[in-house]
Amino acid sequence: MELLKLAGVLFVVNSLTIGGGFAMIPLLQREFVDHYHWLTNKEFIDAIAIGQVTPGPLTVMNAFMGFKIGGLAGALIAMAASYLPCIIIVTIVTKYYLRYKELWVVKASFAGIKPAVVGLLAAVLLFLSRGEVTDPVTKGIAVVSFTVLTFTKLDPSFIIIGAGILGALVFR
Amino acid sequence: MSLRKIFLVFLKIGTFSFGGVYSMIAFLERELVEKRKWITHDEFMESFAIGQMTPGAPIVNTGICIGYKLRQLWGALSATVGQAFTGTVLAILLAAFYLHMKDNPLLQAVMKGVAAAVVGLLGSIIYKMAARMITEYRSALLALGAFMALDLFKVNPIAIILGAGVLGLGLFWRD
Repeated sequence: MELLKLAGVLFVVNSLTIGGGFAMIPLLQREFVDHYHWLTNKEFIDAIAIGQVTPGPLTVMNAFMGFKIGGLAGALIAMAASYLPCIIIVTIVTKYYLRYKELWVVKASFAGIKPAVVGLLAAVLLFLSRGEVTDPVTKGIAVVSFTVLTFTKLDPSFIIIGAGILGALVFR
Repeated sequence: MSLRKIFLVFLKIGTFSFGGVYSMIAFLERELVEKRKWITHDEFMESFAIGQMTPGAPIVNTGICIGYKLRQLWGALSATVGQAFTGTVLAILLAAFYLHMKDNPLLQAVMKGVAAAVVGLLGSIIYKMAARMITEYRSALLALGAFMALDLFKVNPIAIILGAGVLGLGLFWRD
């Protein structure tokens, strides 16, 4: 039953992930943490980190969360449910691309959704940072991480791994 | 084009490309257009455009589209599984390790630093998205409205996205 809910949630969330992979974060946070209590906020942030340090798309964080919820089956169901809507939608769009491209309904609704996603992400960031960025060291890490990732092309994995090493040295 | 070849190329792309969407796109084009000549540059650009205008991660969707062009549905599946394979296996291994070591003080210290870095990373993603997507008063209002709906009124983000889509129809239908 739990796995069925997991599949349903991921199917809906991925169908509404518009404006880049990170657009799924606010929806996942609400469903996984606030609604179903499958993860704590801390575990959710850890899942994002895992999605970043592993190669390939951020979506693999769903395998991490699926494993926490239902073991190996949970992880595999999570990935299948995440990609199913993409495969259905993309194959249909590929077939009818020339007509889809001109659909004003798609263009106008996406133009409305993309900026809204920025607002949602900002609200989630504010909420998550309250629990995690509390002392001078974590504040410093967050500021350096933001600055480096905004103004250089360094891969986020290096920042995340570096912050983990720093955390081991400072907080232990 | 055999399905095995499609799987293997996307496995390579999903395993060795770091550094975000644009470096992955460059990698994809080099492999598929320049080296292997499976698709033309124009087909690649069309696939990339489709990846951008469909729900889901753009890079994954670009791969699904290319796979579909090469071998229909089975091609799309091979591309998806190939691209996600390495990351998924690693995520499962890390999850098993993480759950096993959850109460270990060293892991907790590491993850405390990591969480702060993720906060900075999200901030940077938001900054870049805002610079690209918030370009005039309508998009600024939608962003602000979505922020307030979630932060102050705790509206479900799914409802906010659907609402923003409907508002978009009214605000952008003439564009």
